[in-house]
Amino acid sequence: MARLIRCIADNVVSPLGTTSRSNYDSVKAGRSGLARYESMGNITTPFVLSRVDRAVIDGLCAELGIQGNYTFFEKFLLCSSVQALRDAGIDASSERVLFIISTTKGNVSLLGQSQEGVDQERVLLAKAAREVMRFFGNPGKPIVVCNACISGVCAQIEAMRALRSGRYDYAVVIGADEQSPFIISGFLSFKAISDEPCRPFDKDRKGLNLGECAATVVLEASDGKKSGWELVCGAIRNDANHISGPSRTGEGSYLCLMEVLKECHRGELAFVNVHGTATAYNDEMESIALYRAGLIDVPVTGLKGYYGHTMGAAGIMESILSMYAVRDNTVLATRGYREQGTTYPVSVSSETRECNGSEFIKLLSGFGGSNAALLYRFVE
Amino acid sequence: MEELILKLKQEIIEVLNLEDVKPEDIDNDAPLFGEGLGLDSIDALELIVLMEKNYGIKLQDPAKGKEIFKSINVMADFIQKNRTR
Amino acid sequence: MERRGLDFVVLNQGNANLTDLYRTHIGDWPKFYKMDTLSKAGFVATELLLKNVGERRCDSEEFIRSRAIVLFGSTASLCADRNYQETIQDKDNYYPSPALFVYTLPNIVTGEIAIRNHWRGETSFYVLEEPDASQMAFHLACAFQDADTESILAGWVDSRMNDDFQVFVTLISREDAADTGWLAGQLQLMINNLNK
Repeated sequence: MARLIRCIADNVVSPLGTTSRSNYDSVKAGRSGLARYESMGNITTPFVLSRVDRAVIDGLCAELGIQGNYTFFEKFLLCSSVQALRDAGIDASSERVLFIISTTKGNVSLLGQSQEGVDQERVLLAKAAREVMRFFGNPGKPIVVCNACISGVCAQIEAMRALRSGRYDYAVVIGADEQSPFIISGFLSFKAISDEPCRPFDKDRKGLNLGECAATVVLEASDGKKSGWELVCGAIRNDANHISGPSRTGEGSYLCLMEVLKECHRGELAFVNVHGTATAYNDEMESIALYRAGLIDVPVTGLKGYYGHTMGAAGIMESILSMYAVRDNTVLATRGYREQGTTYPVSVSSETRECNGSEFIKLLSGFGGSNAALLYRFVE
Repeated sequence: MEELILKLKQEIIEVLNLEDVKPEDIDNDAPLFGEGLGLDSIDALELIVLMEKNYGIKLQDPAKGKEIFKSINVMADFIQKNRTR
Repeated sequence: MERRGLDFVVLNQGNANLTDLYRTHIGDWPKFYKMDTLSKAGFVATELLLKNVGERRCDSEEFIRSRAIVLFGSTASLCADRNYQETIQDKDNYYPSPALFVYTLPNIVTGEIAIRNHWRGETSFYVLEEPDASQMAFHLACAFQDADTESILAGWVDSRMNDDFQVFVTLISREDAADTGWLAGQLQLMINNLNK
């Protein structure tokens, strides 16, 4: 029998809090990290962003004993993973512990401005991952999942597989991205960023907001059933359609949903936590995929109105908040949504709703035609 | 106008990496998007950058590009009327 | 009986000109000219491999859902990152290019190959410190835990600067990956050829 994979510890660091619990409470209370910026660096177009206060991260580093010449991105990864590993109570320096980092751009801001005491080579993602593993004394070889916006779900899927293979007992999956002018200017050049707080699935949605977050899950493999959050399965599929535009038929997302539904007990499915970036094409595509997968009546919820699009962290943070919501019998309100704005009327709401069930699906899609989904189940 | 049209064609070929296309292959009245040159949504965004960089024309609304990029003639006409450099 | 080795294609800037190879052996995909060096390298190497092994384009739903693409690299999109950074670095010459920005994600090369071949299976890009045969073999074997995946277009692709690249690609079946030690040995042969 396949080994069971359980989430034994988690953490979220964002503008809304430095623990998973404080983040969940903030979101449930309706707070958002989104704020408007008129400019940044050479950018003179206004945009809305959820940005972490650098002083908060430095304070957290001092509190957690994170010292050394680290970049903001590396500090961000450490602030989240140190807390999660403290809660997990495992020996992270063991060779039976696998580290997987999820990010899209890592230390790319070093290209614009180098940092004293930091080797320029750390712009290479595996070198930055090595710094994090060195902090914990882990002897393994770094691996970074770099699959655009779906990286956070892919990293959890890869961790699940590596644990099932038997080579590892624990996997530490850490995701983060720094919102530097590099990423912001790029999405602005795509005319994809809204200068107002985003409105996922709404008929007046104008585009996405970017956001900063670091999130960690610690996964454990066990041979017998134990109580807690089980990562049941996941799938990654390509639209094979276009490198930046989502498929008109939602093909990749549909295939991912059909795959995870094989293991899903439909009566236990509390909700689908969607990507919901609030771009015209993404939300429309997701509504088509949900419809085709027969999920049009299942509650749908999106978190971008609280956090923006947090890139490498999105799949991890959004999974963690979904775990807290399911345990709280809650479908979190989709902040920014008002009126149906997709061809198929998915069950999305601006209000917090009650729900039953012990399972949820996390869905993501991104550049490169990539899509991913995973299924978590709470075992009593 | 003839001069602007030729310059524009050369710029488009260069910016969009239309390696196997020559200026004379582009019909002045034919639609830039759809069939023919095989351009996509990223190309449309890149044409918006071209308009700003080479002619000082800022287009905030990408939907407006659809009208302007109808054909070389339409695009050249728009540039002629709105250019700031 | 000794098992037949995997077919593979290896190219680098010292022994191959990607545009010449495209013109000579491919020629019907003008999007090639829009790609960054990383994507060009992955795309051309894959096209040549599929020709070498005589794989015809197959559009059966069953097949296109069963073919995954898993690529590894150490530089990821560094080359594209530098090109894009140049368009935003200077305040007086600030014109961020969407066509360059889209390639600042290394998994775009997996997307380009998927689009060309209509493959809808898994696509993944992993960044490692260096080409490591046993690490790659392990993660490739893991990819077959997806029951729908029957074969993987796998390989290594790097590009630090425009026109600088090292790439190899190979096709791996479920059976090939079952013997991880053997697979690692095969990958090591390809790695040994990366800089030749």
